[in-house]
Amino acid sequence: MENIYYPHKGVVKEIKEETPKIKTYRLKLDKKLSFRAGQFMQLTVPGVGEAPFTPSSSPGEVEEMEITIMRTGRVTSVLHKEVKVGDFLGLRGPFGKGYPIEKFIGKEILIVGGGVGLAPLRSLIYALFDRIEEIKQIYICYGAKSPEDQCFKDEYKDWERKKKVSLNLTIDESHPKWKGTVGLVTCLLEKDYLKKIGIDIKNSYVVSCGPDVMLKFVTFKLLEVGFKPEQIYLSMNRRMSCGFGKCARCNIGPYYLCKDGPDMCYADIKDYPNVFC
Amino acid sequence: MEVLLDKNRIKNFIEVLLGYGRVFASWEKEIFSNRGSKTRRFVREIKDNFSDYYIPKVRTFDNFKSFVLPGRFKVAEYPSEKWIDIGEKGEKEVLLGIKACDLNSFYMIDKVFLEDSLFVDPFYKKRRESLILISSDCGDSLDSCFCNVLGFSPYPEKGFDINIVELKEFYLLEIGSKIGEEISKNLSLNQAGKKELRERDEKRRKVKDKLEKQNREFSKAFFYLESIAEQAFDSDSGWELGSACVSCGACTNVCPVCYCFTLFDRKGEKENNYKRFMVWDSCQFKGFSQMAGGLNPRFSHIDQFKNRYYHKFFRFYKKFGVYKCTGCGRCIDNCLGGIDMREVFLGALEGVKR
Repeated sequence: MENIYYPHKGVVKEIKEETPKIKTYRLKLDKKLSFRAGQFMQLTVPGVGEAPFTPSSSPGEVEEMEITIMRTGRVTSVLHKEVKVGDFLGLRGPFGKGYPIEKFIGKEILIVGGGVGLAPLRSLIYALFDRIEEIKQIYICYGAKSPEDQCFKDEYKDWERKKKVSLNLTIDESHPKWKGTVGLVTCLLEKDYLKKIGIDIKNSYVVSCGPDVMLKFVTFKLLEVGFKPEQIYLSMNRRMSCGFGKCARCNIGPYYLCKDGPDMCYADIKDYPNVFC
Repeated sequence: MEVLLDKNRIKNFIEVLLGYGRVFASWEKEIFSNRGSKTRRFVREIKDNFSDYYIPKVRTFDNFKSFVLPGRFKVAEYPSEKWIDIGEKGEKEVLLGIKACDLNSFYMIDKVFLEDSLFVDPFYKKRRESLILISSDCGDSLDSCFCNVLGFSPYPEKGFDINIVELKEFYLLEIGSKIGEEISKNLSLNQAGKKELRERDEKRRKVKDKLEKQNREFSKAFFYLESIAEQAFDSDSGWELGSACVSCGACTNVCPVCYCFTLFDRKGEKENNYKRFMVWDSCQFKGFSQMAGGLNPRFSHIDQFKNRYYHKFFRFYKKFGVYKCTGCGRCIDNCLGGIDMREVFLGALEGVKR
């Protein structure tokens, strides 16, 4: 019987520094692996431990995978400091349900990202690009601390050039190099701004990923401007160990985020305790 | 099928069991110290000195979950081809004299580790399939016992291979499975008569009556278990007892159904060799759900305390239709703060909208 705790090998092929704290690792996989956008992997730094990450590359790639990681805790610090090209990392997964892309067909999609939260969304963006004919419109709203802290900077131009895509960027505080919008990402969700970019609130879905506090205020802002809880999907990435609903730590109400999420519809979870930290 | 075993033939019975694999029995012993003598009940392997063995009347101090989920064990060595699959069934292990509460706990943990079709835990499956369960009736009850309130009985009703009932002159063996039948055939035993069955029922009723009497006051709270647990997070009133909790995790460690675990990795002895272990974890520890960066969705002490109740009586019940509690009362006996689960529920009941 297959050992579900065994990490399969992924050799680091390329490391790209996105920002001083965020790096993208391109891994060559041991065995072919397909995932849905939004599903996550348990990444092992050998001898140090595991942590859950959502791939940032397109779900269409099966032999290689990109994972974008910010330095925050024990595992990620060792990863950033010690792992070099040619080293191997461990991978288990994919786990979770992923985004319900079938639901998005024929709708407008508002993608709200903050900081490194754009990584899982990038995988969704690629998945949506693949089916762009069936999607009405994609609005990407992304907030970062400063222009240096923006992930995937060199791809923005390609994204903007696509049909049916509108890219809206903001940074938290004014910066000499920045000429665009200044303010938290919620300022892109103000009623006037949404009207300006022309989103049809009734016929759309929102997908959001970012720090916990951002998710909280994005949700409140979305509700304020007229979105329904059923239209909002949040990436609730919590501490996970097993990845399949057995170790019992990543729960919201009766749901295990690793198994039933990590992208939860806000309508499902809103009545349960501790939705936001 | 019920058969009778002479009391002095329990030795033969254990010898037959030893032919199947290692035998672990619940054991009772008087322990003397300078503070006087005390009866201790624990789990011990039977090897050869079992001439004076008898089955204790009530549950042991230890739980039996470590036979399916040891406190710490290796689940992977990487990178190594050998660990991708885990081999065939393991050697048999016989658990002798386990009580209804521990027997039920296996069927509760099964729901999580075996009945989830997406991911079946191979280590659990291997260990679970290697168990032979020889259960026994409770001849008495402890002050902390409350299985009756949760709808269980102080005697096993199903799920055993053989169940032993101690009567005045005989051991009555109830056969519950094929393997149980095979064991009893080795002993060539007589069928039990109506008299013995009547004696068994009489005995069972006595223990059940005693339990019902001692838990009468608490029974009323248990009708509302699910709604208490669900509404627990809405109000803090009624949860004052939680302030006596010191987050030691004793309750989850002695609980026969608490299965939460964590995985951690270590470097192996050789170069380029790493090991992964599964260890028991506890929702009562602060680090249980703390994320990198220090965020914690269950930050406050009372939220951690409530989580145990929430999981046992709400989340698990929603998913599987049973409470994740057998009523063994070990958490009550072992709480450093002297917290009694039954009193917590009685307190919380007042804050619940019914």
